[in-house]
Amino acid sequence: MLNKKINVFAVTCSMLAGLVFSNIANAHTGWILPSHFSISKEGGDWLTFDVTAANATFVFDKPASADMARVVMPDGRQERPGFVLRGKRRSVFDFEFTEQGTHKVLIKNAPRYITHFKAGRRDTPKRMRVNKVERAAMLPEESRDVETSVMFTRVESYITVGKPSVKAFEIEGKYLELKPITHPADIVAEEEVRLQFYFNGKVQAGVKVEIVREGVPYRNQQNQIEVVSDEQGFITFIPQIAGRYLLVAKHQGVITDDLFADKMRASVNLTFEAVLP
Amino acid sequence: MKIKNLSFLLVSLYLAMPSWANTIPDTATMEIQFELPSIKSSTYVRPYVALWIEDAQKTPVRTIQLWVGKDEWLKDLRSWWRKVGRNDPILVDAVTSATRPAGQYRFTWDGLDDQGKRVQQGEYTFHVEVVREHGGRNYLRQKLVLLEQSFSKQLSATQETGQITLNYQVK
Repeated sequence: MLNKKINVFAVTCSMLAGLVFSNIANAHTGWILPSHFSISKEGGDWLTFDVTAANATFVFDKPASADMARVVMPDGRQERPGFVLRGKRRSVFDFEFTEQGTHKVLIKNAPRYITHFKAGRRDTPKRMRVNKVERAAMLPEESRDVETSVMFTRVESYITVGKPSVKAFEIEGKYLELKPITHPADIVAEEEVRLQFYFNGKVQAGVKVEIVREGVPYRNQQNQIEVVSDEQGFITFIPQIAGRYLLVAKHQGVITDDLFADKMRASVNLTFEAVLP
Repeated sequence: MKIKNLSFLLVSLYLAMPSWANTIPDTATMEIQFELPSIKSSTYVRPYVALWIEDAQKTPVRTIQLWVGKDEWLKDLRSWWRKVGRNDPILVDAVTSATRPAGQYRFTWDGLDDQGKRVQQGEYTFHVEVVREHGGRNYLRQKLVLLEQSFSKQLSATQETGQITLNYQVK
């Protein structure tokens, strides 16, 4: 009897822990960290990539999956990485870059739906992982302020073999997208960087962008760069110090005529390096 | 009226700096005295070295020396790779040579660009990038105005480079 009680308790505990964990995991920023950003070896070379989600820039924390990692080749076609490993605190994949030009490396995330609502006498805010179609059957009666968001994050980076190219920059026209104006292989410390944001295929003003250099645990301040995109979707900033940077761009937009959601919360997490001047 | 204005502008530009339209004299050369200092280190390896010239628009004109073991490491000469190497694999093959030990070296730049043409008179920048595995990197730049007069410039020593002397000679 006691045994059974303990078992039930243990199961409840682990369920709760699972719930807490997955919530935390959602709040973490996903990123991809290449071992190198440029290749000079003739015939190309293997590179390795870390994939994780964390609150501190480039500190390994949660084992985000790398199963959906893809490489956009210089001609625009997509390839899968050759080796994918999943660890406890990060995933890893390797890819052999043999074609000349600029590649875009990304994690092909699936959009996630979340429905927020209020219920009960005390207007308790609640949420469920369902879209607009699914929510009809699941919402309690007299739910109020019901709103379903679709969340989509692009996790990406650019690798250049030999001479840089731009075909891999082409946008899909969906969610939030970043188009390099300054080529990622030409980002130099102390020099201005210019990038452009698109939301559902159109240039987007008001995209909030935060850029943080690696090594946060070893300095007192984050020293983040904060910029907002202008009317044409452009941002400009100057990375003062050479190093690897994580750019996190976020945008929320109301979407109409969508079967599954009322609102879109989209982000782009780009890893880039600023080379020495 | 507009066309007249434009031609007037062009003529006055030509008169204002006639020498800029000319190439440097046929006899003009630049002698480069270059030194890799001996560095005491338990893991000393010969550094990668690139010496090159850029024009006033920062366009690479000539790679004078390139010492790298394998093409895999070309990218470690960060600035040279970004400005020159990655854009022209044939040039890289043509100029690359093995790394060299600490010591004094002397080169002569013949005043030609990578295509073998004599360069125009005007403003240029001499670049030196030295990168050592297990060691440091030094990247030096020196502005040069190449006209019809000889001159000499000196670049002070750094961790990875000894004193560098540039002698532009017009005989």
